[in-house]
Formats: sequence, C-alpha cells, structure tokens
Amino acid sequence: MGRLTRGLQVAALAVVLLGTPFPSGAADAVTAYDERAASTGYFREGASVVPGAYQLYLQTPQSLGAYGGLGPRPKIVEGVSFKADAHAGVTDYRPGYGCLDCHAGSEHNLHSARTEVTCRQCHRGTPIAGIFHYYSAMNPIRRHAYVCAKCHEGATANFAAYVVHEPPALAAETAEGFPALYYATWFMVILAGGVFLFFLPFTVGWGFRELIQRIWAGRSHVRVG
Amino acid sequence: MSASASLVRRFTGIQRLFHLGLILLFMLLSVTGLAWMFIEAPWGAWLAELFGGYANLLLVHRVAGLVMLAGFFLQIVYLLAVFDWRHPLRALASHDALVMQWFDVVDFFRHLRWVLFGGALPRFERWGWWEKFDYWAVWWGLIIVGATGLLIYNPVLSADYVPGWFYNVALWIHRIEAVLAMGHIFTVHFFVEHFRPSTFPFSATMFDGGMPLEHARAEHPRWVERLEREGQLQARLMSRPVWAIRLLHIAFGYVMIALGLFLVVSFIAHVGLLKFTALF
Ligand code: HEC
Ligand code: HEC
Ligand code: HEC
Repeated sequence: MGRLTRGLQVAALAVVLLGTPFPSGAADAVTAYDERAASTGYFREGASVVPGAYQLYLQTPQSLGAYGGLGPRPKIVEGVSFKADAHAGVTDYRPGYGCLDCHAGSEHNLHSARTEVTCRQCHRGTPIAGIFHYYSAMNPIRRHAYVCAKCHEGATANFAAYVVHEPPALAAETAEGFPALYYATWFMVILAGGVFLFFLPFTVGWGFRELIQRIWAGRSHVRVG
Repeated sequence: MSASASLVRRFTGIQRLFHLGLILLFMLLSVTGLAWMFIEAPWGAWLAELFGGYANLLLVHRVAGLVMLAGFFLQIVYLLAVFDWRHPLRALASHDALVMQWFDVVDFFRHLRWVLFGGALPRFERWGWWEKFDYWAVWWGLIIVGATGLLIYNPVLSADYVPGWFYNVALWIHRIEAVLAMGHIFTVHFFVEHFRPSTFPFSATMFDGGMPLEHARAEHPRWVERLEREGQLQARLMSRPVWAIRLLHIAFGYVMIALGLFLVVSFIAHVGLLKFTALF
C-alpha cells in the first residue's frame, strides 16, 4: 500500500469514524500507548490488572467481545482446541495426508481460494496445535504477531479478530456462531431481493402496458420526437 | 430533422457532468469489482488482464472508489450551494425538487394500477416517482458501499478502530449492495430510460440536457402545464445539439448499455464459479 493511499485513507477514516474533518489526530491515535499495549493482547483495559480476570484458555482480548455479542463466538472443538497436538488422538493421521482429505470445506476462505497461502503457513508445522492451545502461535493472544503479521505488516490483535474460516453467511448455524454476519447479510439479501422482486416485474409490465397502449391507439400518444 | 427549438431543458450542464462522471466511475468500479469477485474464474482473470493484472486491478478499484466518494461529497456541496436558503420550506416542497412527497406515493400506486390495466396513467410533474427513487437510490447505495468500502480499503488500518471481524461483515454488505446497484442500473434503469416503447431506441435527455416537448407533454404533462401557466416554457425551450454531438451521445450511451448488459449476462453465467465462500 503506497504511503499516499494510506494517508488518504487515514483522512477518510478519520472523517467517517471520528466525525472530525481533520486527520491530524488519527496518526497520533495509531501510535498511542494504549493502542499498542492493547494490540499485544497481553494488556487489556482494566482487566489486565484485576487478579483472576485473565481467562486461561479463551484469550480473546476482551475489547473484541464488545458490540453486544454480535461478533463471532469462538468455535471450540471439544478438548482438541486446547491440545498441543490437535491430531494426537486421530487414528490414521499421517502428516503426509492432505489437510482437505479430512477437513473438507476448509479451503472455502479468501486466503485459500484467492492466494497461494497454504494451510501450513497459518497452522504451521507438525504437530499442529489446537487453535486455543496456550503456547500455540494461533492462540489469539499472539495470533496477530506470530501468524498474521508474517504477511500483513502491522497486524494487531484487533486485525486478527478477522474470521479466516468464515462461516456460510446465510446458514442457520451462523445466527449463533457469528450473529452480525448472519443478520447483516440477510438484511442485504432481503433488501436487494425486495428491490428486484418489485422492480423487474413492474418494469416489464410497464413496457408491456405501453406496447398495448400503442396497439390500441394505432399510434402512440407518447413518442420521442 | 424539424423544429430547432424542440427540447424542454431538464438538466443543467453541471448536472449532466455529474451524471457522466457517475456513469464512468460506476462502470469502472463495476468492471474492476466483478473482476475481483470472480478472480478465481477465467472470466475474472481475463477482465483483470485488461487492467494489467490482479494487483493493478485492486489499485484501480480502490482509487476509483475514493474518486467516487469525492464526487459524492461534491454533489452534497453542490446541493448546499444551489439550495434556496431564503425560502427553505418552499424549496423543499417545490415541484422542481427531488424530495419525495405525498403525491409521489399516490402517483406510484396509480402508476401501478395503470400497469395492471386499471385507471389512467398519472399525470406526472417534472419528476416521476421512479426518477426520484433512482436519485435517492444512488445516495443510500453510495453511503452503504462507501462506508463499507472505506472499512475494507486497508484492513490493517481499519483494525485500529474496529475489530477485524467487521471485515467479514463489511465485505458481504459491500458485495450485495454492489450487485443490487449493478442489477438495478443494468436492467431496470436501462429499460425504463431507453427500451420502453415510448423511449426506445434511446432517450438522450440526460446527455442533450432537454426532453422533446412532445414527449414531455405526454409523460410530464403537469410540468409542461405549470411552465405554460407561469410563462416559463419559452425560456426553457432549447434546440437539439448538432447531429454529430447527438450521434456521440447515442454511441456513448449504447457502449455503456452494452457493457452493462455484458456484465449482467456474464455474472449470471459465472456465478456458480465463485469459490471463495459459500453462502449456505
Ligand atoms: C486423517 C485426517 C486428518 C488430516 C489429514 C488432518 N486433520 Fe486436522 N484434524 C483431524 C481431526 C479428526 C481433528 C479433531 C477435531 C475435529 O474433529 O475436527 C483435527 C483437528 C485439527 C485442528 C484443530 C481444531 C481446533 O479446534 O483447534 C487443526 C487446526 C487442524 N486439524 C488442522 C489441520 C491441517 C492444517 C492439516 C493439514 C496439514 C490437517 N489438520 C490434516 C483430522 C485430520
Ligand atoms: C490465513 C491463515 C489461515 C489459513 C491459510 C488456514 N487457516 Fe485454518 N484457521 C485459521 C484461524 C485464524 C483459525 C481460528 C478460527 C478462525 O478464525 O476461523 C483456524 C481454524 C482452523 C480449524 C479449526 C476449526 C475452525 O474451523 O475454526 C481447522 C480445522 C483449520 N483451521 C483447518 C485449515 C485447513 C485445512 C486449511 C487449508 C485449506 C486452513 N485451515 C487454512 C487460519 C488459517
Ligand atoms: C502467508 C501469508 C499470509 C498470512 C500468514 C496471512 N495472510 Fe491474510 N492475506 C494474505 C494474502 C496474500 C492476501 C490477499 C491480498 C489481496 O488479495 O490483495 C490476504 C488477505 C487478507 C485479508 C483481506 C485483505 C484485503 O486486502 O482484501 C484479510 C482480512 C486477511 N488476509 C487477514 C488475515 C489474518 C487475520 C491473518 C492471521 C490469522 C492472515 N491474514 C494471515 C496473506 C497472508
């Protein structure tokens, strides 16, 4: 991303999100101590100094749980998600097998479909850790730094909250797993569908009605000069 | 060609310029956006090649989006500048304004009834309800597609303000709104403006700046009557552009219509090839 385009976007974002026409504050905001501290995932506003507030296994920074619980809920495959070797108990698992032999469907994500990024570039070498294993690179407290930042310079914990394996947006399960995605997508589908459902037949009917009118009248009452 | 002063002025030069800019940016964003969406399919890759490959394509789409937002901003500035601030209520209620009014709702239902072979065709004022709808549709479309576009413009930067999962949501909203806008423009808008029996084969009003008087009397009779009553009709009459300009308008219009229809047909033909995700 060129410096110019980035600059333009800082300005545009500042206007849209902060409601101020001047971008000067935005650059400060990016480097502010709070933001950087939050982006490591270790320090969370308020919570990091309260004893016992640290959840040992679900290390998703608390700020990400905001927005009224509309965000994605972590998908936990019983136990396995916390193991150092997710495939320890899997019979006939051989590192030589293709991941998709067993995890069919995991390739339906922007990275696998659109880029040359392989499963292992994110899930790393054998043994592949469960995504919430405490020391795993995939653990949300360090995912941004150990995984995403390899390719996305400047990735923060907030950035790593992107759902790589996006659930099918309109599927019923997604209402539970990722409500914001489910409701927003359905809203748009209904809006678009409603517009087409009304306008397509209406437009065809309008054309047909004019045609009939012409035939009846022998010649048009409506004519372009 | 007959009478020289046969058009009633409908759009000022600056309004036509806005519309022309909108066409060019909309088409550029449509082509680059669909190429991006279908990049895994040969069709998308082929479109991307026209822009010098995937990386350039993304850049063109992003920059065109920013220019479009700048144009939107200019439109707001323009509206504020031409607004009659001394008589704001009268200006908003004026028949020359694009503000939706109660009679538009009434006209809409009468129009619907007429299409269904009941009642008479409503006698429209300067703007029909569908023309007002088309104008405001660009507003809400641009607000939705612009806000989400800024959010996904540079996800690492946006993540300083919102969690990364906003990207998942914003991208879907962006895509569906874009498909809605393209679908509406390339089918409904093109058909209503150019392919209805009374506008076929091409309505050049938005390019010439004026509408043939005869057509205005038939489709916007209350407007013409008001102009006559107020003695303004003469001042509003204008001559048709010379034939070379008219030909240029028609040729440009048809290139854009052909491009739009090509995109619709290709979209429908290739939609099964979208691989990046599943909706269900
Ligand atoms: C022989 C079949 C098989 C193969 C091959 C395989 N897996 Fe797995 N994997 C499993 C099973 C079974 C689990 C247990 C969880 C489940 O039921 O989904 C699992 C779990 C995982 C988990 C942990 C999920 C969690 O909740 O933390 C990850 C990550 C994973 N696999 C990634 C991969 C990757 C990457 C590859 C390719 C290098 C791969 N797997 C190859 C069968 C397989
Ligand atoms: C860009 C990085 C990235 C790539 C590439 C990637 N994954 Fe993942 N994967 C993740 C992240 C992050 C999670 C945690 C949940 C999430 O965000 O979707 C995850 C979760 C999983 C899980 C746990 C269950 C689930 O769906 O949440 C499995 C299994 C898995 N990945 C398999 C694969 C396979 C197989 C591939 C290759 C086709 C792959 N992943 C490619 C980042 C990646
Ligand atoms: C091995 C490299 C690699 C890793 C690791 C990786 N990505 Fe990506 N990511 C890419 C590439 C390449 C693209 C495609 C960029 C494009 O199409 O312009 C991409 C695109 C994205 C996009 C869409 C951005 C855009 O500009 O459209 C998001 C969001 C994203 N990645 C998030 C993540 C997250 C979150 C992680 C960590 C879990 C991650 N990525 C890990 C390489 C990577």
